[in-house]
Amino acid sequence: MAANYWVSTQRRYWLFSREKLAEAREKLKERDNVAYSQLPLPDQRLLNIYFSQQLSKLGKRMSTRQQALATAQIYVKRFYTKKELRHTNPYLILTTAFYLACKMEECPHHIRFVVGEARSLWPDFITPDISKLGECEFALIAEMNSQLIVHHPYRTLSELQSDLSLTSDEVALAWSVINDHYLTDLPLLYAPHVIAVMAIIIAVVFKPSQTSFHGSAAPSLTAAMRDGSTNIFAALGDKGGNAPRIQKLVSWLAESDVDIRAVVECTQELVSLYEIWEQYNEKHCKELLMRMVKNKNLYK
Amino acid sequence: MAVSPSIPRSPSTTSSSTVPQKLKEIATQNISTGKGVSHPQIPLQNPDYELAQQLNDDVRHKYIKDRKLGEGTYAVVYLGHLRADSASYVAIKKIKVNAEFKDGLSMDAIREVKYLQELSHPNIIALHDVFTSKDLNLNLVLEYLPGGDLEMLIKDGSIHYGAADVKAWMGMLARSVWYCHENCVLHRDIKPNNLLIASDGEVKLADFGLARSFADPYLNMSHQVITRWYRPPELLYGARQYSGAVDIWSMGMVFAELLLRVPFVAGNTDLDQISKINDAFGTPTEENWPGVTKLPNYVSAEKDRIVPLQGRDFFLRQFPTAGSVGAELLMSMCALDPRKRSTASQILQHNWWFIEPKPTKKEDLPRKPGGVKKMGDDLARRGGELQEGPFHNTVRQLDFTAMK
Repeated sequence: MAANYWVSTQRRYWLFSREKLAEAREKLKERDNVAYSQLPLPDQRLLNIYFSQQLSKLGKRMSTRQQALATAQIYVKRFYTKKELRHTNPYLILTTAFYLACKMEECPHHIRFVVGEARSLWPDFITPDISKLGECEFALIAEMNSQLIVHHPYRTLSELQSDLSLTSDEVALAWSVINDHYLTDLPLLYAPHVIAVMAIIIAVVFKPSQTSFHGSAAPSLTAAMRDGSTNIFAALGDKGGNAPRIQKLVSWLAESDVDIRAVVECTQELVSLYEIWEQYNEKHCKELLMRMVKNKNLYK
Repeated sequence: MAVSPSIPRSPSTTSSSTVPQKLKEIATQNISTGKGVSHPQIPLQNPDYELAQQLNDDVRHKYIKDRKLGEGTYAVVYLGHLRADSASYVAIKKIKVNAEFKDGLSMDAIREVKYLQELSHPNIIALHDVFTSKDLNLNLVLEYLPGGDLEMLIKDGSIHYGAADVKAWMGMLARSVWYCHENCVLHRDIKPNNLLIASDGEVKLADFGLARSFADPYLNMSHQVITRWYRPPELLYGARQYSGAVDIWSMGMVFAELLLRVPFVAGNTDLDQISKINDAFGTPTEENWPGVTKLPNYVSAEKDRIVPLQGRDFFLRQFPTAGSVGAELLMSMCALDPRKRSTASQILQHNWWFIEPKPTKKEDLPRKPGGVKKMGDDLARRGGELQEGPFHNTVRQLDFTAMK
C-alpha cells in the first residue's frame, strides 16, 4: 500500500458511476453486435464470477498473497473496461494480470513459472511461448495508462478492527466478504473504505459462524440473506434493539464521514451477488468462452 | 501471431464485407497482445485499433525526441520537447525491453512507473506522460532538469558554496524524503547523483527504480538496496525488516558529503564499508544498539578495533562548517541504531532550519553548466550503481528470493 488514496490515480481515473461503467461496456460491445447475436456470452455478472474464480485458482496454485491476487483482479476489471472481451484471450489476460500484480506487490514470480502454472490450469489456452506473456504485459500496462497502484479494503478493515473492537470471527467474515466483492463490479464503483465498512456491517449483523480468511463468505451468508436481505437495514435502524454491538456500529457510522448511501448500495450489490451465484454454472461459462476463443484462434 | 482464416461466417454477411471483417480481426487480435503496430495498413480499417492506440499516439505525438543524452544498461535518455512548444523541454527515458520479452518488464521499470504515477511533489521528479513506441518500448516523459545533480557541484572544486547553500539543498531533500515516507514509500537509493537540479535551482529526487512501499509487518524485504557508500549499517548487516530510517541514513551521508565535499564513508566492499562505519561512528554493540548481534550478517569487531560511540564533540570537530546545531542534526541522522535515528518529520522540525544562516533562495544557489548531459547519465543509470572505482559495486540483481 502506498501513496494517498484521495489523490490516487485509482480515485481520479478508475472510479466509475454505474451509468458510466455500463456505457463504456455498451460501447465496446456495439461494434460486435453480430458476434454477440451469433455467439452470446454469459451475463456480465456471471463472467465476473468466472474470471475471479479462475484467477483465484491460479493464485492458489502458486500460493500467492491475497493482496497480489486482489490487485490482479482489479487489473482484469480495468482492462475489460477498455478492451472488448471478444478480441482477447481472457486466459492470457488473467495470467498476465497475475504476473504483473505479483511484481507490483513485491512478491514476483519468474515468468516461466507463471506460464507453466497457467498452462497446467488452462492447457488449451496458454502457449508455452513466454514472450506472449511479455507482450501482453506491455499491452496491459498501456491499457491501464501505467496507473498501477491499487488500494484495497483489507487495510481499512485491519485499521478499524480495534476502533470498533471487532472479534476475530467478525474480522474473518468481513475479510471473506471483501474477498467476495472482487466477484462483482464493486471495486470499480466504490472507494475501498466504503467496501470495508460494508463488509464490517455485514459481518456484525450476521453473526459469523465458521469462516476462514481465504474462503468466500457465501456459504454462511447466502442462506442468512435469503431469509430476508432487508434484515440488515432493519437491524441497523432498530434503535431499541437489544444488540449493543450493532448500536455501537450505528453510532460510529453516524459520526463518521463515510457515505452511508454508498455503503447501503454496496450491501445491495453484494446481496445480489449471492443471489446470482446460485444460478452460476462454471461449466457453462467455460464452454461459451472456449467457443469464443477457439472460433478466433485467439489462443495462438 | 497466427491468424486463422476460419472466421465464422454467418449467412447474413456478404462476402464483400468479410474482408474488412477479417482485417479487423487481425488488427484487434494483435493489439490485444500488443503487436498491432506491425501492420501499418490495417489500423485504418479498424475503429478498435483507433480507440486503443489513439490515446497512446496522441501522447507520443505530443513530444519530439531531439537527441540522445545518455545510455545505460537499462534505459536510453533523450532530450525532447513539446511539439506545440519547442521551448518546453522534457527528458524521455526509454526503457530497454528485451526484444523477445523474455523476462517481462524489469522490476525497476515497474517500480519507477508505479511510484512516479502517484507521487507529486515539488522536490520529486515529475512524470508527465508514459507512452509506448513503435518498437514496443516503454517511454517515460520526465521533467527536464538541466541543472545537473548535487554530485557534480560537490566534485567541482571551482564551485564555492557555504552553509546557507547546504541548508537550502538539505531542506529540499528533507521535504522530498518526508513526502515519500508520509506516503509509505521507501526510496532506497538516495545519493548525490539521484538529486537532480531544475533550471530554477530546485532539487528533485529522481530514480525510483529501487523504491517500494513499506512492507507489511514481519514480511521480509531485500537488504541489497542503496548504493554502498550511502547504505546504513542495518542493511550491511543483512536486516530484512527495516523502515524509513534507511533513507534517513543516506540523507545523513549526503549531508556529510555536502559539508566535506568527499564521500564521508566510502568502502571498497561491503565489509570494508562496515569497518569504515565502525571507525567513524563507533562500533555497534548490544549496549548502543539492542539486537544488532542477531542480524544475519553481523560481524563482531576485533577487540582492538572497538571504537566507542561518537558523541557531539566528534561531529562538531568533523563538520565545523555545520555549526553546533547543524552537527547535532547530522548526528541524529547517523545514529547506528535505526530506532534512534530521527524521522523525516523530526528532521524538518529541527532548530537548525530556523537559525542563521537562512537557507539560500533557490534562484541564488550555485550552479554549473553542463547539467543536461549529467541529467542524461543520471536518468539512464540503473539504481544502486556507482560509476567510479575499480569495483563496480552494483547491488542490483534480479534475485527472486531476496526481492520480497
